[in-house]
Amino acid sequence: MKVFWALLRREWASFFYSPIAYVVMFFFLVLMGLSFSLLLHVLSQGPATGGVMRLLLGESLFFWLAMIMVVPIMTMRLFAEEKKIGTIETLMTAPVSDVMVVLAKYAAALSVFAILWAPTSLYAIFLAQVSPASAPIDAAAMVTSYVGIAIVGAFYLSLGLLASAMTRNQAVAAVVTFVTLCILFFWGFMPYYTRSVPIQEFGRYTSSLLHMMEFSRGVLDTRPIVLYVSSTAFILFVTVKMVESRKWRR
Amino acid sequence: MISVSHLTKRYRDFVAVDDVSFEVRKGEIVGFLGPNGAGKTTTMRILAGYLSATAGDVRVAGFDVRTDSLQVRRRIGYLPESVPLYPEMRVDEYLRYRAKIKRLPARRIRPMISEVKERCGLLAMGRHVIGRLSRGYRQRVGLADALIHDPELLILDEPTLGLDPNQNRHVRELIRSLAPRHTVLLCTHILPEVERTCKRLLIIKEGRIVAADTPENLKNQLGGGNRIRAQIKGPAKDVERELSALPHVQRFHLQPGTVWTDCLVETVREVDLRPNIFALTVRNGWELRELRLDNRSLEDVYIGLTRNGAAATEIQP
Repeated sequence: MKVFWALLRREWASFFYSPIAYVVMFFFLVLMGLSFSLLLHVLSQGPATGGVMRLLLGESLFFWLAMIMVVPIMTMRLFAEEKKIGTIETLMTAPVSDVMVVLAKYAAALSVFAILWAPTSLYAIFLAQVSPASAPIDAAAMVTSYVGIAIVGAFYLSLGLLASAMTRNQAVAAVVTFVTLCILFFWGFMPYYTRSVPIQEFGRYTSSLLHMMEFSRGVLDTRPIVLYVSSTAFILFVTVKMVESRKWRR
Repeated sequence: MISVSHLTKRYRDFVAVDDVSFEVRKGEIVGFLGPNGAGKTTTMRILAGYLSATAGDVRVAGFDVRTDSLQVRRRIGYLPESVPLYPEMRVDEYLRYRAKIKRLPARRIRPMISEVKERCGLLAMGRHVIGRLSRGYRQRVGLADALIHDPELLILDEPTLGLDPNQNRHVRELIRSLAPRHTVLLCTHILPEVERTCKRLLIIKEGRIVAADTPENLKNQLGGGNRIRAQIKGPAKDVERELSALPHVQRFHLQPGTVWTDCLVETVREVDLRPNIFALTVRNGWELRELRLDNRSLEDVYIGLTRNGAAATEIQP
Protein backbone atom coordinates (compact mmCIF):
# COMPACT_ATOMS: atom_id res chain seq x y z
CA MET A 1 0.00 0.00 0.00
CA LYS A 2 2.88 2.34 0.83
CA VAL A 3 4.42 1.53 -2.52
CA PHE A 4 1.15 2.27 -4.28
CA TRP A 5 0.96 5.60 -2.49
CA ALA A 6 4.53 6.48 -3.53
CA LEU A 7 3.73 5.66 -7.17
CA LEU A 8 0.52 7.68 -7.02
CA ARG A 9 2.27 10.70 -5.54
CA ARG A 10 4.89 10.66 -8.23
CA GLU A 11 2.20 10.66 -10.90
CA TRP A 12 0.50 13.62 -9.28
CA ALA A 13 3.77 15.48 -8.94
CA SER A 14 4.73 14.91 -12.56
CA PHE A 15 1.29 16.04 -13.70
CA PHE A 16 1.33 19.25 -11.71
CA TYR A 17 4.99 19.97 -12.51
CA SER A 18 4.14 20.06 -16.18
CA PRO A 19 2.53 23.07 -17.83
CA ILE A 20 0.05 20.74 -19.54
CA ALA A 21 -1.92 20.46 -16.29
CA TYR A 22 -2.62 24.16 -16.17
CA VAL A 23 -3.41 24.44 -19.86
CA VAL A 24 -5.89 21.57 -19.50
CA MET A 25 -7.50 23.14 -16.46
CA PHE A 26 -7.73 26.51 -18.15
CA PHE A 27 -9.48 25.22 -21.26
CA PHE A 28 -11.65 22.90 -19.26
CA LEU A 29 -12.93 25.74 -17.12
CA VAL A 30 -13.39 27.97 -20.19
CA LEU A 31 -15.54 25.28 -21.81
CA MET A 32 -17.56 24.64 -18.68
CA GLY A 33 -17.92 28.38 -18.16
CA LEU A 34 -19.34 28.71 -21.67
CA SER A 35 -21.73 25.88 -20.91
CA PHE A 36 -22.81 27.67 -17.74
CA SER A 37 -23.26 31.05 -19.43
CA LEU A 38 -25.36 29.37 -22.09
CA LEU A 39 -27.46 27.87 -19.30
CA LEU A 40 -27.94 31.27 -17.71
CA HIS A 41 -28.98 32.62 -21.09
CA VAL A 42 -31.58 29.88 -21.53
CA LEU A 43 -32.85 30.29 -17.97
CA SER A 44 -33.23 34.02 -18.44
CA GLN A 45 -35.77 33.28 -21.19
CA GLY A 46 -38.06 31.44 -18.77
CA PRO A 47 -38.27 28.16 -16.82
CA ALA A 48 -36.23 25.33 -18.33
CA THR A 49 -37.79 22.12 -19.51
CA GLY A 50 -36.13 18.88 -18.48
CA GLY A 51 -34.01 20.23 -15.64
CA VAL A 52 -31.05 22.52 -15.23
CA MET A 53 -28.36 19.84 -15.02
CA ARG A 54 -29.49 18.41 -18.29
CA LEU A 55 -28.83 21.75 -19.96
CA LEU A 56 -25.51 22.18 -18.20
CA LEU A 57 -24.17 18.67 -18.78
CA GLY A 58 -26.14 16.02 -20.61
CA GLU A 59 -27.16 17.99 -23.66
CA SER A 60 -24.46 20.61 -23.68
CA LEU A 61 -22.05 20.46 -26.61
CA PHE A 62 -19.43 22.18 -24.42
CA PHE A 63 -19.66 19.41 -21.86
CA TRP A 64 -18.90 16.76 -24.48
CA LEU A 65 -16.18 18.86 -26.04
CA ALA A 66 -14.56 19.13 -22.64
CA MET A 67 -14.80 15.35 -21.99
CA ILE A 68 -13.41 14.42 -25.39
CA MET A 69 -10.60 16.99 -25.39
CA VAL A 70 -9.43 16.79 -21.80
CA VAL A 71 -9.18 13.02 -21.35
CA PRO A 72 -6.60 12.38 -24.14
CA ILE A 73 -4.38 15.22 -22.96
CA MET A 74 -4.53 14.01 -19.37
CA THR A 75 -3.71 10.40 -20.16
CA MET A 76 -1.26 10.69 -23.07
CA ARG A 77 1.92 10.95 -21.03
CA LEU A 78 1.16 8.26 -18.42
CA PHE A 79 3.10 5.44 -20.10
CA ALA A 80 4.31 7.03 -23.34
CA GLU A 81 6.60 9.47 -21.54
CA GLU A 82 8.17 6.74 -19.38
CA LYS A 83 8.85 4.75 -22.52
CA LYS A 84 10.29 7.74 -24.32
CA ILE A 85 12.76 8.75 -21.62
CA GLY A 86 13.45 5.13 -20.66
CA THR A 87 12.32 5.33 -17.04
CA ILE A 88 9.95 2.45 -17.76
CA GLU A 89 13.05 0.25 -17.39
CA THR A 90 13.97 1.50 -13.92
CA LEU A 91 10.30 1.47 -12.92
CA MET A 92 9.70 -2.11 -14.06
CA THR A 93 12.92 -3.43 -12.53
CA ALA A 94 11.93 -2.05 -9.13
CA PRO A 95 10.02 -4.54 -7.01
CA VAL A 96 6.58 -3.34 -8.11
CA SER A 97 4.12 -5.44 -10.05
CA ASP A 98 2.77 -4.41 -13.44
CA VAL A 99 -0.77 -4.41 -12.00
CA MET A 100 0.23 -1.97 -9.29
CA VAL A 101 1.88 0.41 -11.75
CA VAL A 102 -1.18 0.39 -14.02
CA LEU A 103 -3.54 0.95 -11.10
CA ALA A 104 -1.42 3.76 -9.65
CA LYS A 105 -1.31 5.59 -12.96
CA TYR A 106 -5.02 5.08 -13.42
CA ALA A 107 -5.82 6.28 -9.91
CA ALA A 108 -3.70 9.37 -10.52
CA ALA A 109 -5.59 10.18 -13.74
CA LEU A 110 -8.94 9.57 -12.07
CA SER A 111 -8.15 11.77 -9.08
CA VAL A 112 -6.88 14.63 -11.24
CA PHE A 113 -10.07 14.29 -13.28
CA ALA A 114 -12.07 14.67 -10.06
CA ILE A 115 -10.06 17.76 -9.10
CA LEU A 116 -10.85 19.18 -12.53
CA TRP A 117 -14.56 18.77 -11.93
CA ALA A 118 -14.68 19.97 -8.34
CA PRO A 119 -14.94 23.71 -9.15
CA THR A 120 -18.03 23.12 -11.31
CA SER A 121 -20.06 22.39 -8.17
CA LEU A 122 -19.79 26.13 -7.49
CA TYR A 123 -22.14 26.73 -10.41
CA ALA A 124 -24.96 25.22 -8.37
CA ILE A 125 -24.22 27.46 -5.38
CA PHE A 126 -23.96 30.49 -7.65
CA LEU A 127 -27.22 29.65 -9.38
CA ALA A 128 -29.00 29.29 -6.04
CA GLN A 129 -27.79 32.79 -5.11
CA VAL A 130 -28.91 34.55 -8.27
CA SER A 131 -32.03 32.59 -9.16
CA PRO A 132 -35.45 33.89 -8.10
CA ALA A 133 -36.68 30.27 -7.85
CA SER A 134 -36.44 28.71 -4.39
CA ALA A 135 -34.52 25.62 -5.54
CA PRO A 136 -33.28 26.08 -9.12
CA ILE A 137 -31.30 22.83 -9.09
CA ASP A 138 -32.63 19.45 -8.07
CA ALA A 139 -30.04 18.17 -5.60
CA ALA A 140 -30.67 14.54 -6.54
CA ALA A 141 -30.19 15.32 -10.23
CA MET A 142 -26.92 16.98 -9.36
CA VAL A 143 -25.68 13.92 -7.48
CA THR A 144 -26.65 11.54 -10.28
CA SER A 145 -25.04 13.87 -12.81
CA TYR A 146 -21.73 13.63 -11.01
CA VAL A 147 -22.12 9.85 -10.73
CA GLY A 148 -22.56 9.82 -14.50
CA ILE A 149 -19.50 12.01 -15.08
CA ALA A 150 -17.46 9.79 -12.75
CA ILE A 151 -18.28 6.49 -14.46
CA VAL A 152 -18.19 7.78 -18.04
CA GLY A 153 -14.97 9.63 -17.24
CA ALA A 154 -13.52 6.50 -15.61
CA PHE A 155 -14.14 4.53 -18.78
CA TYR A 156 -12.71 7.22 -21.07
CA LEU A 157 -9.62 7.58 -18.90
CA SER A 158 -9.00 3.83 -19.03
CA LEU A 159 -9.07 4.01 -22.83
CA GLY A 160 -6.56 6.86 -22.72
CA LEU A 161 -4.31 4.86 -20.39
CA LEU A 162 -4.40 1.88 -22.76
CA ALA A 163 -3.51 4.08 -25.74
CA SER A 164 -0.60 5.52 -23.78
CA ALA A 165 0.65 2.01 -22.94
CA MET A 166 0.68 1.11 -26.62
CA THR A 167 3.14 3.74 -27.84
CA ARG A 168 6.20 5.73 -26.85
CA ASN A 169 4.88 8.81 -28.61
CA GLN A 170 2.58 11.03 -26.55
CA ALA A 171 1.01 12.68 -29.58
CA VAL A 172 0.07 9.30 -31.03
CA ALA A 173 -1.49 8.28 -27.71
CA ALA A 174 -3.50 11.51 -27.57
CA VAL A 175 -4.75 11.22 -31.16
CA VAL A 176 -5.71 7.56 -30.78
CA THR A 177 -7.66 8.37 -27.61
CA PHE A 178 -9.28 11.42 -29.16
CA VAL A 179 -10.45 9.53 -32.25
CA THR A 180 -11.73 6.64 -30.15
CA LEU A 181 -13.73 8.99 -27.94
CA CYS A 182 -15.10 10.82 -30.99
CA ILE A 183 -16.29 7.52 -32.45
CA LEU A 184 -17.90 6.62 -29.11
CA PHE A 185 -19.54 10.05 -28.96
CA PHE A 186 -20.97 9.94 -32.48
CA TRP A 187 -22.07 6.39 -31.88
CA GLY A 188 -24.36 8.03 -29.32
CA PHE A 189 -26.45 9.48 -32.15
CA MET A 190 -27.03 6.09 -33.77
CA PRO A 191 -30.47 5.55 -32.20
CA TYR A 192 -31.67 8.70 -33.97
CA TYR A 193 -30.29 7.96 -37.40
CA THR A 194 -31.11 4.36 -38.09
CA ARG A 195 -34.40 2.66 -38.85
CA SER A 196 -33.01 -0.76 -37.94
CA VAL A 197 -34.63 -1.72 -34.65
CA PRO A 198 -31.80 -3.95 -33.35
CA ILE A 199 -29.25 -1.17 -33.92
CA GLN A 200 -31.56 1.32 -32.24
CA GLU A 201 -31.86 -1.00 -29.27
CA PHE A 202 -28.11 -1.61 -29.10
CA GLY A 203 -27.47 2.09 -29.46
CA ARG A 204 -29.74 2.92 -26.58
CA TYR A 205 -27.81 0.57 -24.33
CA THR A 206 -24.38 1.86 -25.31
CA SER A 207 -24.79 5.57 -26.05
CA SER A 208 -22.85 7.72 -23.61
CA LEU A 209 -24.90 10.67 -24.78
CA LEU A 210 -28.17 9.02 -23.78
CA HIS A 211 -26.67 7.79 -20.54
CA MET A 212 -25.55 11.26 -19.56
CA MET A 213 -28.96 12.69 -20.48
CA GLU A 214 -30.56 10.17 -18.16
CA PHE A 215 -28.11 10.77 -15.33
CA SER A 216 -28.48 14.55 -15.60
CA ARG A 217 -32.24 14.12 -15.41
CA GLY A 218 -31.82 12.49 -12.04
CA VAL A 219 -32.31 8.89 -13.13
CA LEU A 220 -29.90 6.45 -11.56
CA ASP A 221 -29.99 3.46 -13.88
CA THR A 222 -27.85 0.49 -12.89
CA ARG A 223 -27.45 -0.80 -16.45
CA PRO A 224 -25.01 1.90 -17.64
CA ILE A 225 -23.21 1.70 -14.30
CA VAL A 226 -22.59 -2.02 -14.81
CA LEU A 227 -21.61 -1.37 -18.42
CA TYR A 228 -19.03 1.32 -17.62
CA VAL A 229 -17.57 -0.34 -14.55
CA SER A 230 -17.12 -3.67 -16.31
CA SER A 231 -15.78 -2.04 -19.49
CA THR A 232 -13.29 -0.04 -17.42
CA ALA A 233 -12.15 -3.18 -15.61
CA PHE A 234 -11.69 -4.96 -18.92
CA ILE A 235 -9.69 -2.09 -20.48
CA LEU A 236 -7.46 -1.92 -17.41
CA PHE A 237 -6.87 -5.67 -17.68
CA VAL A 238 -5.86 -5.23 -21.33
CA THR A 239 -3.55 -2.38 -20.28
CA VAL A 240 -1.79 -4.64 -17.76
CA LYS A 241 -1.31 -7.25 -20.50
CA MET A 242 0.00 -4.52 -22.78
CA VAL A 243 2.57 -3.46 -20.18
CA GLU A 244 3.57 -7.10 -19.62
CA SER A 245 3.99 -7.65 -23.33
CA ARG A 246 7.41 -5.93 -23.28
CA LYS A 247 8.71 -9.15 -21.76
CA TRP A 248 7.85 -11.48 -24.57
CA ARG A 249 7.29 -9.22 -27.59
CA ARG A 250 9.55 -10.04 -30.51
CA MET B 1 24.33 -15.42 -6.46
CA ILE B 2 23.53 -15.58 -10.15
CA SER B 3 23.03 -18.88 -11.85
CA VAL B 4 22.20 -18.85 -15.53
CA SER B 5 21.83 -22.07 -17.46
CA HIS B 6 21.08 -22.44 -21.15
CA LEU B 7 19.61 -18.95 -21.39
CA THR B 8 18.26 -18.10 -24.82
CA LYS B 9 16.45 -14.96 -25.95
CA ARG B 10 15.09 -14.96 -29.48
CA TYR B 11 13.61 -12.00 -31.27
CA ARG B 12 11.74 -12.28 -34.53
CA ASP B 13 14.72 -12.42 -36.83
CA PHE B 14 17.74 -12.93 -34.64
CA VAL B 15 18.96 -14.66 -31.53
CA ALA B 16 20.19 -12.07 -29.04
CA VAL B 17 21.36 -14.55 -26.41
CA ASP B 18 22.17 -18.07 -27.49
CA ASP B 19 22.38 -20.88 -24.91
CA VAL B 20 24.37 -18.91 -22.35
CA SER B 21 25.36 -20.45 -19.03
CA PHE B 22 27.39 -18.88 -16.25
CA GLU B 23 27.58 -18.54 -12.49
CA VAL B 24 28.48 -15.62 -10.29
CA ARG B 25 29.31 -16.40 -6.67
CA LYS B 26 28.37 -14.23 -3.73
CA GLY B 27 30.76 -11.33 -3.16
CA GLU B 28 32.39 -11.54 -6.58
CA ILE B 29 32.93 -8.60 -8.89
CA VAL B 30 32.51 -9.96 -12.37
CA GLY B 31 33.17 -8.02 -15.55
CA PHE B 32 30.79 -8.62 -18.41
CA LEU B 33 32.36 -7.70 -21.72
CA GLY B 34 31.49 -7.91 -25.34
CA PRO B 35 30.99 -5.81 -28.46
CA ASN B 36 27.89 -3.66 -28.81
CA GLY B 37 24.93 -5.81 -29.75
CA ALA B 38 26.49 -9.00 -28.40
CA GLY B 39 23.64 -9.60 -25.95
CA LYS B 40 24.96 -7.98 -22.77
CA THR B 41 22.05 -5.63 -22.22
CA THR B 42 19.50 -8.31 -23.06
CA THR B 43 21.10 -10.65 -20.51
CA MET B 44 21.08 -7.93 -17.85
CA ARG B 45 17.48 -7.05 -18.57
CA ILE B 46 16.47 -10.67 -18.17
CA LEU B 47 18.34 -10.86 -14.85
CA ALA B 48 16.61 -7.68 -13.67
CA GLY B 49 13.19 -9.00 -14.66
CA TYR B 50 12.54 -6.46 -17.40
CA LEU B 51 12.44 -9.07 -20.15
CA SER B 52 11.72 -12.75 -19.97
CA ALA B 53 13.84 -15.44 -21.54
CA THR B 54 12.73 -17.51 -24.50
CA ALA B 55 14.30 -20.56 -22.89
CA GLY B 56 16.61 -21.44 -20.04
CA ASP B 57 16.76 -21.15 -16.30
CA VAL B 58 17.87 -17.96 -14.55
CA ARG B 59 18.16 -17.73 -10.79
CA VAL B 60 19.22 -14.83 -8.60
CA ALA B 61 19.85 -15.55 -4.92
CA GLY B 62 18.03 -18.83 -5.43
CA PHE B 63 14.87 -17.24 -6.83
CA ASP B 64 13.67 -17.99 -10.33
CA VAL B 65 13.40 -14.71 -12.27
CA ARG B 66 10.36 -16.02 -14.09
CA THR B 67 8.22 -17.08 -11.14
CA ASP B 68 9.65 -14.96 -8.30
CA SER B 69 10.38 -11.78 -10.20
CA LEU B 70 9.47 -9.47 -7.33
CA GLN B 71 11.71 -11.34 -4.89
CA VAL B 72 14.56 -11.11 -7.39
CA ARG B 73 14.00 -7.41 -8.04
CA ARG B 74 14.09 -6.66 -4.31
CA ARG B 75 17.63 -8.01 -4.26
CA ILE B 76 18.93 -6.28 -7.38
CA GLY B 77 20.14 -2.75 -7.93
CA TYR B 78 20.09 -2.22 -11.67
CA LEU B 79 21.63 0.72 -13.49
CA PRO B 80 20.67 0.71 -17.17
CA GLU B 81 23.14 2.11 -19.66
CA SER B 82 21.05 5.13 -20.62
CA VAL B 83 20.58 6.10 -16.92
CA PRO B 84 16.90 6.98 -17.22
CA LEU B 85 15.78 9.54 -14.63
CA TYR B 86 12.77 11.81 -14.21
CA PRO B 87 14.06 15.22 -15.31
CA GLU B 88 11.50 17.23 -13.36
CA MET B 89 12.37 15.75 -9.96
CA ARG B 90 14.99 16.91 -7.50
CA VAL B 91 17.79 14.52 -6.51
CA ASP B 92 16.55 13.99 -2.94
CA GLU B 93 12.97 13.68 -4.08
CA TYR B 94 13.93 11.07 -6.68
CA LEU B 95 16.01 9.02 -4.25
CA ARG B 96 13.22 9.10 -1.66
CA TYR B 97 10.71 7.94 -4.26
CA ARG B 98 12.99 5.14 -5.43
CA ALA B 99 13.69 4.06 -1.83
CA LYS B 100 9.96 3.83 -1.19
CA ILE B 101 9.09 1.80 -4.25
CA LYS B 102 12.04 -0.46 -3.51
CA ARG B 103 10.43 -1.12 -0.14
CA LEU B 104 13.13 0.28 2.09
CA PRO B 105 11.64 0.53 5.61
CA ALA B 106 10.54 4.12 6.39
CA ARG B 107 13.01 4.64 9.24
CA ARG B 108 15.95 3.67 7.02
CA ILE B 109 15.07 5.98 4.12
CA ARG B 110 16.62 9.19 5.42
CA PRO B 111 19.94 7.72 6.65
CA MET B 112 20.23 5.62 3.50
CA ILE B 113 19.76 8.65 1.22
CA SER B 114 22.55 10.47 3.07
CA GLU B 115 24.75 7.41 2.85
CA VAL B 116 24.38 6.83 -0.89
CA LYS B 117 24.70 10.53 -1.61
CA GLU B 118 27.97 10.56 0.28
CA ARG B 119 29.26 7.44 -1.45
CA CYS B 120 28.37 8.80 -4.87
CA GLY B 121 29.59 12.35 -4.25
CA LEU B 122 26.14 13.93 -4.36
CA LEU B 123 26.01 15.53 -0.91
CA ALA B 124 25.71 19.06 -2.25
CA MET B 125 23.28 18.14 -5.01
CA GLY B 126 20.16 17.13 -3.07
CA ARG B 127 18.13 20.18 -4.02
CA HIS B 128 19.14 20.22 -7.67
CA VAL B 129 16.66 19.41 -10.41
CA ILE B 130 17.81 16.28 -12.24
CA GLY B 131 17.06 17.66 -15.69
CA ARG B 132 19.66 20.38 -15.23
CA LEU B 133 22.47 18.12 -13.98
CA SER B 134 25.55 17.36 -16.08
CA ARG B 135 26.06 13.91 -17.53
CA GLY B 136 28.48 12.97 -14.77
CA TYR B 137 26.06 13.90 -12.02
CA ARG B 138 23.18 12.13 -13.72
CA GLN B 139 25.36 9.03 -13.85
CA ARG B 140 25.99 9.33 -10.12
CA VAL B 141 22.31 9.79 -9.35
CA GLY B 142 21.66 6.58 -11.29
CA LEU B 143 24.33 4.81 -9.27
CA ALA B 144 22.90 6.17 -6.01
CA ASP B 145 19.50 4.82 -7.05
CA ALA B 146 20.99 1.38 -7.73
CA LEU B 147 22.49 1.37 -4.21
CA ILE B 148 19.58 2.92 -2.32
CA HIS B 149 17.95 -0.29 -1.08
CA ASP B 150 21.26 -1.92 -0.18
CA PRO B 151 20.82 -4.73 -2.72
CA GLU B 152 22.72 -8.01 -2.56
CA LEU B 153 23.42 -7.87 -6.29
CA LEU B 154 24.31 -4.85 -8.38
CA ILE B 155 24.00 -4.96 -12.14
CA LEU B 156 25.75 -1.94 -13.57
CA ASP B 157 25.71 -1.20 -17.28
CA GLU B 158 28.54 1.23 -18.13
CA PRO B 159 28.55 2.97 -14.74
CA THR B 160 31.48 5.26 -15.60
CA LEU B 161 30.21 6.51 -18.94
CA GLY B 162 30.53 10.28 -19.16
CA LEU B 163 32.61 10.67 -16.00
CA ASP B 164 35.88 12.58 -15.91
CA PRO B 165 39.05 10.70 -14.86
CA ASN B 166 38.75 11.76 -11.20
CA GLN B 167 35.13 10.72 -10.94
CA ASN B 168 36.02 7.59 -12.83
CA ARG B 169 38.55 6.54 -10.23
CA HIS B 170 36.10 7.43 -7.49
CA VAL B 171 33.41 5.18 -8.95
CA ARG B 172 35.91 2.38 -9.52
CA GLU B 173 36.89 2.55 -5.86
CA LEU B 174 33.25 2.64 -4.88
CA ILE B 175 32.55 -0.52 -6.89
CA ARG B 176 35.57 -2.27 -5.40
CA SER B 177 34.40 -1.32 -1.91
CA LEU B 178 31.06 -3.05 -2.54
CA ALA B 179 32.64 -6.50 -2.40
CA PRO B 180 32.46 -8.80 -0.52
CA ARG B 181 29.20 -7.65 1.02
CA HIS B 182 27.63 -7.11 -2.38
CA THR B 183 27.97 -9.01 -5.63
CA VAL B 184 28.58 -6.93 -8.73
CA LEU B 185 28.05 -7.68 -12.39
CA LEU B 186 29.84 -4.88 -14.19
CA CYS B 187 29.39 -4.24 -17.86
CA THR B 188 31.82 -1.86 -19.51
CA HIS B 189 34.00 -1.24 -22.54
CA ILE B 190 36.82 0.35 -20.60
CA LEU B 191 39.24 -2.55 -20.32
CA PRO B 192 41.86 -1.13 -17.94
CA GLU B 193 38.96 -0.41 -15.60
CA VAL B 194 37.84 -4.02 -15.75
CA GLU B 195 41.34 -5.28 -15.14
CA ARG B 196 41.63 -3.17 -12.02
CA THR B 197 38.16 -3.87 -10.67
CA CYS B 198 37.08 -7.38 -11.61
CA LYS B 199 38.23 -10.70 -10.30
CA ARG B 200 36.65 -12.60 -13.11
CA LEU B 201 35.51 -11.85 -16.65
CA LEU B 202 32.76 -13.09 -18.89
CA ILE B 203 33.21 -12.26 -22.54
CA ILE B 204 30.19 -12.57 -24.77
CA LYS B 205 30.15 -12.47 -28.55
CA GLU B 206 27.14 -12.83 -30.80
CA GLY B 207 25.03 -14.10 -27.93
CA ARG B 208 27.50 -16.74 -26.76
CA ILE B 209 30.00 -16.77 -23.92
CA VAL B 210 33.44 -17.06 -25.51
CA ALA B 211 35.53 -16.79 -22.36
CA ALA B 212 35.00 -16.93 -18.61
CA ASP B 213 38.10 -16.66 -16.43
CA THR B 214 40.32 -14.33 -14.43
CA PRO B 215 42.05 -11.56 -16.41
CA GLU B 216 45.47 -13.14 -15.70
CA ASN B 217 44.47 -16.58 -16.94
CA LEU B 218 42.96 -15.12 -20.07
CA LYS B 219 46.15 -13.27 -20.82
CA ASN B 220 48.23 -16.38 -20.19
CA GLN B 221 46.09 -18.46 -22.49
CA LEU B 222 47.11 -16.11 -25.25
CA GLY B 223 50.73 -17.23 -25.36
CA GLY B 224 52.10 -17.06 -21.87
CA GLY B 225 55.57 -15.83 -22.77
CA ASN B 226 57.00 -12.37 -22.48
CA ARG B 227 57.06 -9.78 -25.18
CA ILE B 228 60.01 -7.41 -25.32
CA ARG B 229 60.39 -4.32 -27.44
CA ALA B 230 63.78 -2.84 -28.19
CA GLN B 231 65.22 -0.18 -30.45
CA ILE B 232 68.77 -0.88 -31.53
CA LYS B 233 71.12 1.14 -33.70
CA GLY B 234 73.00 -1.40 -35.75
CA PRO B 235 72.95 -3.23 -39.09
CA ALA B 236 69.54 -4.94 -39.33
CA LYS B 237 70.99 -8.18 -40.63
CA ASP B 238 73.45 -8.46 -37.73
CA VAL B 239 70.78 -7.58 -35.22
CA GLU B 240 68.55 -10.29 -36.64
CA ARG B 241 71.32 -12.86 -36.43
CA GLU B 242 72.09 -11.96 -32.83
CA LEU B 243 68.47 -12.00 -31.75
CA SER B 244 67.78 -15.37 -33.34
CA ALA B 245 70.63 -16.82 -31.34
CA LEU B 246 69.00 -15.89 -28.02
CA PRO B 247 67.54 -18.73 -25.96
CA HIS B 248 63.77 -19.38 -25.55
CA VAL B 249 62.83 -17.09 -28.42
CA GLN B 250 59.52 -18.17 -29.92
CA ARG B 251 59.54 -15.60 -32.69
CA PHE B 252 60.78 -12.15 -33.37
CA HIS B 253 60.00 -9.32 -35.70
CA LEU B 254 62.29 -6.58 -36.98
CA GLN B 255 61.32 -3.30 -38.49
CA PRO B 256 64.45 -1.60 -39.88
CA GLY B 257 64.28 2.18 -39.88
CA THR B 258 66.73 4.71 -41.25
CA VAL B 259 68.89 4.58 -38.15
CA TRP B 260 67.08 2.59 -35.49
CA THR B 261 65.75 -0.90 -35.84
CA ASP B 262 62.57 -1.76 -34.00
CA CYS B 263 62.67 -5.26 -32.54
CA LEU B 264 59.89 -7.32 -31.04
CA VAL B 265 60.94 -10.53 -29.34
CA GLU B 266 58.56 -13.12 -27.97
CA THR B 267 59.73 -15.82 -25.62
CA VAL B 268 58.32 -19.27 -25.11
CA ARG B 269 58.01 -19.06 -21.37
CA GLU B 270 58.18 -16.22 -18.94
CA VAL B 271 61.87 -15.68 -19.44
CA ASP B 272 63.13 -12.14 -19.19
CA LEU B 273 65.57 -11.60 -22.06
CA ARG B 274 66.16 -7.93 -21.36
CA PRO B 275 69.62 -8.44 -19.80
CA ASN B 276 70.61 -10.68 -22.71
CA ILE B 277 69.55 -8.07 -25.25
CA PHE B 278 71.42 -5.38 -23.39
CA ALA B 279 74.49 -7.60 -23.27
CA LEU B 280 74.44 -8.34 -26.98
CA THR B 281 74.23 -4.66 -27.92
CA VAL B 282 77.18 -3.92 -25.67
CA ARG B 283 79.12 -6.83 -27.14
CA ASN B 284 78.56 -5.55 -30.67
CA GLY B 285 79.09 -1.92 -29.80
CA TRP B 286 75.56 -0.96 -30.86
CA GLU B 287 73.44 1.70 -29.25
CA LEU B 288 70.25 0.87 -27.38
CA ARG B 289 67.47 3.46 -27.15
CA GLU B 290 64.55 1.50 -25.77
CA LEU B 291 64.17 -1.78 -23.94
CA ARG B 292 60.90 -2.68 -22.31
CA LEU B 293 58.53 -5.48 -21.46
CA ASP B 294 55.39 -5.16 -23.55
CA ASN B 295 53.11 -7.91 -22.40
CA ARG B 296 49.73 -8.62 -23.81
CA SER B 297 47.03 -6.41 -22.47
CA LEU B 298 43.49 -7.37 -21.79
CA GLU B 299 42.71 -5.42 -24.91
CA ASP B 300 44.63 -7.96 -27.01
CA VAL B 301 42.66 -10.73 -25.34
CA TYR B 302 39.40 -8.96 -25.92
CA ILE B 303 40.09 -8.14 -29.54
CA GLY B 304 41.40 -11.64 -30.19
CA LEU B 305 38.22 -13.16 -28.79
CA THR B 306 35.63 -10.84 -30.22
CA ARG B 307 36.99 -9.85 -33.61
CA ASN B 308 35.15 -11.51 -36.46
CA GLY B 309 36.88 -14.64 -37.66
CA ALA B 310 39.85 -14.05 -35.41
CA ALA B 311 41.66 -16.98 -33.92
CA ALA B 312 42.20 -16.46 -30.24
CA THR B 313 45.95 -16.96 -30.44
CA GLU B 314 46.70 -14.74 -33.39
CA ILE B 315 49.62 -12.43 -32.78
CA GLN B 316 49.61 -8.80 -33.66
CA PRO B 317 53.02 -7.17 -33.80
